[in-house]
Amino acid sequence: MLRRVITGQKRLVATSTILSAAHQGGEALVPILIGVIIDEAVGGGTLVDLIIWIAVLGAAFLVLSTSFQYGTRTGELAVERAAHALRLELTTRILHPRGSAGPGRLPGALVNVATGDAQRVGMVALAVPLGLAALGGVVIGAVALLRMSVPLGLLVLIGAPMLLLAAHRLGRPLQRRSESEQEHAAQAAGVAADLVAGLRVLKGIGAERPAARRYRRVSRDSLTATQRAATAKSWHDSTLLGLTGVFLAVVALVGGRLAATQQITVGELVAAVGLAQFLLGPLALVAWANGELAQARASAGRITAVLSEPPGLPAGDQDLSLPVRGHVRLTGIAADGLTGLDLDIAPGELLAIVTPDQSVATTLTELFGRTRDPVTGTVELDGRPLSTLDPQAVRAAVLVAEHDADLFEGTLLDNVTLDRAAGDVVRQALVASTVDEVARTGPIGERGRALSGGQRQRVALARSLAAGPPVLVLHDPTTAVDAVTEQRIATGIRDLRHGRTTVLVTTSPSLLSVADRVVFLASGTVRAAGTHAELVRDDEEYQSVVLS
Amino acid sequence: MSERTLLPVATAAQTWSAVRALLRPRRGLAVLAIAVLTAGTAIGLVTVRLLGHIVDLVTEGRPADAITAPVVALVLVAIGQAVASGFGLTLVARLGEGMLAELRERFVDRVLALPLDQVEEAGTGDLTSRVTNDVTAIATAVRSALPELARSVLTIALTLVGLVVLDWRFLLAALIAVPIQLHTVRWYSGRALPLYARQRVSVGSMQQQLQETVGGSGTVRALRLQERHHGLVRGRSLDAVDWTMRGVRVLTQFYARLNLAEFVGLAAVLVTGFLLVRDGSATIGTATVAALYFHGLFVPINTALGLVDDAQAAGASLVRLVGVTSMPAPPEQNAQISERATIEVEKVEHAYQPDQPVLRGVSLEVAAGERVALVGASGAGKTTLAGLIAGVRTPDGGTIRLGGTPIDELDVRRTVVILSQEVHVFAGPLADDLRLARPDATDDQLSVALTRVGAADWVAALPDGLGTVVGHGGHRLTVTQAQQLALARLVLIDPPIAVLDEATAEAGSAGARLLEAAVEEALAGRTGIVVAHRLAQAVTADRVVLLDAGRILETGTHAELAARPDGHYAKLWKAWADHRPGC
Repeated sequence: MLRRVITGQKRLVATSTILSAAHQGGEALVPILIGVIIDEAVGGGTLVDLIIWIAVLGAAFLVLSTSFQYGTRTGELAVERAAHALRLELTTRILHPRGSAGPGRLPGALVNVATGDAQRVGMVALAVPLGLAALGGVVIGAVALLRMSVPLGLLVLIGAPMLLLAAHRLGRPLQRRSESEQEHAAQAAGVAADLVAGLRVLKGIGAERPAARRYRRVSRDSLTATQRAATAKSWHDSTLLGLTGVFLAVVALVGGRLAATQQITVGELVAAVGLAQFLLGPLALVAWANGELAQARASAGRITAVLSEPPGLPAGDQDLSLPVRGHVRLTGIAADGLTGLDLDIAPGELLAIVTPDQSVATTLTELFGRTRDPVTGTVELDGRPLSTLDPQAVRAAVLVAEHDADLFEGTLLDNVTLDRAAGDVVRQALVASTVDEVARTGPIGERGRALSGGQRQRVALARSLAAGPPVLVLHDPTTAVDAVTEQRIATGIRDLRHGRTTVLVTTSPSLLSVADRVVFLASGTVRAAGTHAELVRDDEEYQSVVLS
Repeated sequence: MSERTLLPVATAAQTWSAVRALLRPRRGLAVLAIAVLTAGTAIGLVTVRLLGHIVDLVTEGRPADAITAPVVALVLVAIGQAVASGFGLTLVARLGEGMLAELRERFVDRVLALPLDQVEEAGTGDLTSRVTNDVTAIATAVRSALPELARSVLTIALTLVGLVVLDWRFLLAALIAVPIQLHTVRWYSGRALPLYARQRVSVGSMQQQLQETVGGSGTVRALRLQERHHGLVRGRSLDAVDWTMRGVRVLTQFYARLNLAEFVGLAAVLVTGFLLVRDGSATIGTATVAALYFHGLFVPINTALGLVDDAQAAGASLVRLVGVTSMPAPPEQNAQISERATIEVEKVEHAYQPDQPVLRGVSLEVAAGERVALVGASGAGKTTLAGLIAGVRTPDGGTIRLGGTPIDELDVRRTVVILSQEVHVFAGPLADDLRLARPDATDDQLSVALTRVGAADWVAALPDGLGTVVGHGGHRLTVTQAQQLALARLVLIDPPIAVLDEATAEAGSAGARLLEAAVEEALAGRTGIVVAHRLAQAVTADRVVLLDAGRILETGTHAELAARPDGHYAKLWKAWADHRPGC
């Protein structure tokens, strides 16, 4: 995965590596040049020497500045492009017609994979060039030092990494502490957000003061944790500061003695001290790149897990013969909660299915839309088993409208037309779902949250009706609608769907009373069938399920 | 859904006075922190002087052993600097974190006291974003930016002092860089801030799109919307990439300009060194020290200037928090009602938008202990009337008296409790949720309340009983269970008047029956207003009040109204009862 990211952006990554290396080289040159200017100009050179060397310094700055600008930009561009490509790949996988990326994954976790993990994996495209360039900077510094003096060079080259290693060691317990601190901080933020989310409830029961006290408690706990962590971090940083100071003192000692015995010049001593300080920079950058790679590896694992998850359903290769008549037949179905269910739905029939068990209702709708295949038995459409058909083709013929279907951001009309339904069809659908009463233009907010629950349900219903599929399966479409409106909707559905197969999975009497036939399922199979009125009259258990 | 009135944002004066108020009790700590950090930085600057001294010793041709003394001093300086900086940073953290904690607590206190109208007008999204994103932005600034900024600024200031001590002309040379830096910062903050704001918006909208697409993947598959959603994600993602890259471009230009300032300043210091050494007013060591001082300024200057946008982001968040904390607190009322919990509503008017009245002159009297059901189509004004009686909203016109006392003189919450349509289970142990209603309740009292609303059995069956963590991130409760909890809270508070707004609307029929029994229990002995969505609740009420378009059209018992030919209620009842012959 990581290699793919690099090769996918190889030109940008290569450019960024070269430019970043030039930047590091320039940064390394600055202390060296300061030393040279001290030696050649300040310590007894002429004005011309000074001008020449200042010009060289200027050239070094020009190189480091330009290469930094373009190196960083190309690197960041590579990161963004790689993350973008991953996001799209993940989106495609998650929306795959043959099933989502594993049943155990919650939407929130998948979104995290598509945003956070994709970005972290993309970071490889910056971490690699910067890491390589930093190594280059270390080499340049090393060569410069070794050319001045072998012992001084070795001292710096061994001492600096050891210093960073010590930093790493010292940092590990700190990291653990900072994690627990973050947990506490997140908890405080979580409690605050939770209280705000429940603000109406709190105000309704007058629990403002107890709620404030509860938040204060959590906030104080969080404060204790953060202060403890901050103290640890302060001492960690200072210890490093101290160690760096001692390291510089040792370099000064060795360099000073070498200079005093004329083995190196004063300028070289200055350069050596400067380089010892400078080298900590690229070395830390190497460590950073290493850390990013480790994080990216973990993220890449999560992305690969999603992408490589096999689709939940086998593909089907057969086509449906068009036009679809809408004859649906279930034979000997055994699946969750169903034990040998047989059911024949005639083309154009308005059938209602009543089951006291919500999980059975869900199983049924999943079977109709082929988001799952039955363990035994077959679901057929116009005589063809659904399991032999491409799920995408099944859904073009059978639209399953789940009761918790989502609306999407945009206007109400956008949600109903979906860029494909014709104007008069949409109008009829809106009327049938009684959506004409709610504002049609204007944004409905993220997931339609600007609408009330009842309004959302009616818009979703209008969307299904406007799609006008040969077979429409509606699961509890009116649970949040008042009785009078529900009655109108029931009539609307019946009239609009006249002549096209429609299945209502519901326990609502208003809807049941418009169905041609009602099938009452109990203990996994058909217990009774007939009209709503007949069943109410004859079946006490039916009565208790649908009436209240 | 017109333009939203967001919550206020503080003015600069309000913000400063809020910061001063937070700082005042911590004055001693602040002074000590600055003193210790200053001392630490000052000690650190001796390092370069000692290095310069070594250079001078070498140029003077002293023996190698002469180096030892300054090196020992270097080690001592390193230790001293480390100790002072560790101590100083600890103090800064204690100061900053303490202030932050107090600020967020004040914020939450204030939010909880806000009138509901105001919260709803602004949308809870705004509040949530302030309490999470803005608090985080300030915390980040306090945790990382503040100590770094403190250290950098001190280093810069003291280095400049150090340059003066060497020779005032070195300072003049170094200051040549300042105009370039100032110009760069102005250039940057003018461009970067709007750009970063735009970038955050585009990244946020990309994440939101992913949330919608991924969260709604079932719907996308059912309706075969894959291409459309892929396109939406791609568009938003490209937009985010585009804005991020613009931000990167400005940031890299910013540092490139600072590079120019570095070069100009360094060259000026070196030239000054050359001239001063030539006319004998400085040694080579001094010139070296000056050059190293200036080279040592690169990092702290970049850090300090780079923190400009962190600081501005924190400032933007701070004004949003202080905006809320400095809102005037609503006056507290202490009056309690007499024994008789009556409700008198007189000519009450209310509108959410000026020309769209929701209630038009509603008058209603409810006797103590009476149960009244409010019915009517959606949009008739039931919920609004319920909210006004419960005091969570203030009417535009007319008066409401509870037990004879005007509602705005009452400590409303001791008198009336409203359970709204919205159910929320507070994250944490279930017992904590219930104790929000009554903090001093014993476990036994909690159990009694749960038993009364029929929730005792399932609560006992939870993994940890009353201690089970529920709500966001915890054990998920069904809608029915959550509503039983809400009723249990009501039982625990035990108010004389209770208002129930469609508390059984979305539970499904089986749950509805269970809840109706729980409602009976919870309302026993109280004056009750029930917004009835399921007409079964109207049947059991003492009186039914039918609202239509903001007016009371009919009032009477269920039997009276249902028998009235052509009555509104009779029609409603017919639609409800037709398919429910058993009822």
